[in-house]
Amino acid sequence: MMETLLSGVEQLFTLGTMVSMLLGVIAGVIAAAIPGFTITMAIVLTLPLTFTMAPLQGVATMLAVYVGGYSGGLISAALLGIPGTPSAVATTFDAFPMARSGQPGRALALGIWSSFFGALVSAVILIIAAPPLAMVAVKLGAWEYFSLIIFAMTVVASLVGKSMLKGLMTGLLGLFIATVGADPMMGVARFTFGSDLLADGFPFLVVLIGMFAVSQLLQEVEDAEQIKQGKRLINADVSFNPLTAMRETLAYPVNLLRSSLVGVFIGAVPGAGGSIANLLAYDQARRASPTPERFGTGTPEGVIASESGNSATSGGGLIPMIALGIPGSAVDAVLMASLMVHGIGVGPRLILDHGDLVYGMFTAMLVAAAMVLVVCLFSMRFFLRVTDIPRSIIVPVVLVCCVIGAFALNNRVTDIYLLLGVGVIGYVLSKLEYPLAPLVLGVILGPIAETNLRRALMTDEDWTLFFTRPISLILLVLAVVSVALAIRHRLRQRHAPAT
Amino acid sequence: MSQANTTHSPRPAGREGAGKSDRANARAHIVLNAALAMLFVGLFAQSASLPSSMWEPLGAGSFPRLVLGALIVINLAIIVQEAKRYPRLAAPPRGLVRDWLWRHRLAMGVLALFALFSLAVPMLGFPLSALAFLLLVQILLGARRPRSLIIALVIAGVFSFGLDWLFRDVFVISLPRGPLG
Repeated sequence: MMETLLSGVEQLFTLGTMVSMLLGVIAGVIAAAIPGFTITMAIVLTLPLTFTMAPLQGVATMLAVYVGGYSGGLISAALLGIPGTPSAVATTFDAFPMARSGQPGRALALGIWSSFFGALVSAVILIIAAPPLAMVAVKLGAWEYFSLIIFAMTVVASLVGKSMLKGLMTGLLGLFIATVGADPMMGVARFTFGSDLLADGFPFLVVLIGMFAVSQLLQEVEDAEQIKQGKRLINADVSFNPLTAMRETLAYPVNLLRSSLVGVFIGAVPGAGGSIANLLAYDQARRASPTPERFGTGTPEGVIASESGNSATSGGGLIPMIALGIPGSAVDAVLMASLMVHGIGVGPRLILDHGDLVYGMFTAMLVAAAMVLVVCLFSMRFFLRVTDIPRSIIVPVVLVCCVIGAFALNNRVTDIYLLLGVGVIGYVLSKLEYPLAPLVLGVILGPIAETNLRRALMTDEDWTLFFTRPISLILLVLAVVSVALAIRHRLRQRHAPAT
Repeated sequence: MSQANTTHSPRPAGREGAGKSDRANARAHIVLNAALAMLFVGLFAQSASLPSSMWEPLGAGSFPRLVLGALIVINLAIIVQEAKRYPRLAAPPRGLVRDWLWRHRLAMGVLALFALFSLAVPMLGFPLSALAFLLLVQILLGARRPRSLIIALVIAGVFSFGLDWLFRDVFVISLPRGPLG
C-alpha cells in the first residue's frame, strides 16, 4: 500500500499538475462566488480542458475546481447574503449577519478556515474508510432514502424563524413547486396547464437564485436615502487576521468535527450532496449549542458548521465513486467521465488496478484543500473590496449575472421568466416575513422524497417496511427525536420571558 | 436572514409616520393565505385527473395531493391565527399602501426594469438588453452627473458586451443574440 501511495504522490507532485490544480482552484472559487454558477457547471467547463492531460493531472485539476467551488460559494453568501452555490444556503444565515454587523473579514476568514478543516477531515476519512463507508452507503434502499429525507426535512424546524406555521407553509410550498413539470416516475406532465414555461418544471437553481438573490437585491435598494448617499453594502473596516480566525475556528472542535462528519456521510450517500449537508450540519450545530438563540444573528458556530459541512461532502462524494463506481452527485459523474475518457474503468476494481491513481486523487484532495486556503486568504482582501462598491452598481450587475446563470443552466429563455416570477414571489414572501430557506429545502428534497416513496411502494406495497428495516427505523426515530427537541426548545423559549 | 429595513422617506412629514401596521400586516396574511388556499384547492382537484399507474400503488397525483392537502390545512390555520389577532390590533393609518409604495419606489423601479430586461432578452438579445438595463438601473439609483454617467456607461458596456464575449468565446455558451446574431 505504501509503495502505491508514494507512487501516486510522486505522479501528483509535478510542476504541470500543481499549476493546473492552482488554476482549477482559482476557477472554482470565482465560479462559485458568482450567484447562479454551480460547481457542476465549472467542472463541466473544465472537462474538455483535461482531455489532453495525463489521467491523474486531469482528475486532480477537476478535484481542485470541485474543492475550490465549495469554498467560493461562501464569498457571495457572506458579503451579499446570496448563496453562490446551492451548498452555501445555510452559510448566509450567520456569515451575512456577521458581515453586516461590521465584521466581513471575520465572516470570510472563519468560513475559509472551516472549509479547509472540513475538506481535510473528509480527505482523511476518504483515505482511511472509503471501502467500509461505501458499503454502508450503498445498502440504503428506497425505504432508507425516504426516511433520510424525512430526517433532513426536520431541519425545517430550525429554519422557520418566528412562526412555525409560516415556516411549514413555505417548506410545503417548496415541496409543491418541485412537483410541477414531468412526474419523476412516469413522465406525466403535472400542473403545466399546457404551457412551455412550466413544461420542465422549476429548475432548482432558478428557484434558489430567484428566492435569495432577486429578493435580497431588491431589499438592498429599498432605502432611497442610503442609495442617494452612495452607501456601500457594508460600512465597516474590512481588515481581518487569518491566524485569529484559525484559532477561533479551532475553538469549536466538536462543532467542526461533527459538521465535517455530517458532510462526509451526506456526501457518501448517492443523490444527496452539499446543499443538504450544509443545512443539516447547521441544524445539528444549532441543536447542540448551549446558545441556540444566537444562531441566525452572526454567530461563529453557524458559519463553522455550514462551511465545514458542505466542504466535507467533496471527500464523501468520492467514497462510493472510488469504492463502487457509483457517482454520488453530478460532479462525481463528471469526474468519472474524465477517467473514462482516459480508458480507466471506474468500479470496485479501480483501487486494485489503478491504486497509484486513486491514492494520487486522495492526495490531490489534501493539496487542493491547502491551495484553496492559501488562494482564499491571499485573495480575500480583493473579494472584500466588493463591499466598497456602491449598491447602485452592484445590484444591477449581480442581477445580470443571475440572468446569465439562470439561462446558462439549460440554455432556455423560459428560465429567465421563471427567475423573474420566483424573484417576485420571494420578495413578497420576505416582505411578509415568511422564511425562504424552508422553501428552498423543500425544492431540493421534494423530488428525492417522492421518487423514493414511490419506488419503495412499487418494490413492496407493505408500508411497514419503513419501520422494520433497521437503518430506515433509526432515521425515522432520529426524525421524531429531532422534531420533539425542536418543539421543546420553542416551548422553553416561549415560556422563558414569563419566568 | 435578511435585515429588516427601517426605511426613511424624503416625503413630507405627514407620510413619515405611516409605518408598518399590525392590522394591515394581518390583513395581508389573511388575503395571501386565502388566495393561496383557493389556488391549492383548485390544484388539488386538478391532481385527481392525473393518471395512476398499474405498476405502482401511488400514481402521478398522489404525492402532490398529499402536499397540497397539507398546504391547505396550513393556509387555513394561518388565516384563523391572524383573524383571531385582527380585532385586537390597531387600525392602519390612511394611505398606508400609497406610502408603502412610495417608500419602496426604488425597489419597485428596479423590479419593473428587471421585468422589462427579462422580457427583452429574447427580442433584443442579451448584450443590448443588458446594456440598457444596467444603464437605466444605475441612472434610477442616482447616476445623474456626467462623471457618474460615464462610469455607468463603462460598467454597462463591460457587463453586457464584455460578459457576452466571455461566455460566447471563452466558455462556449451562447447567450441570446437578438438582432446582433
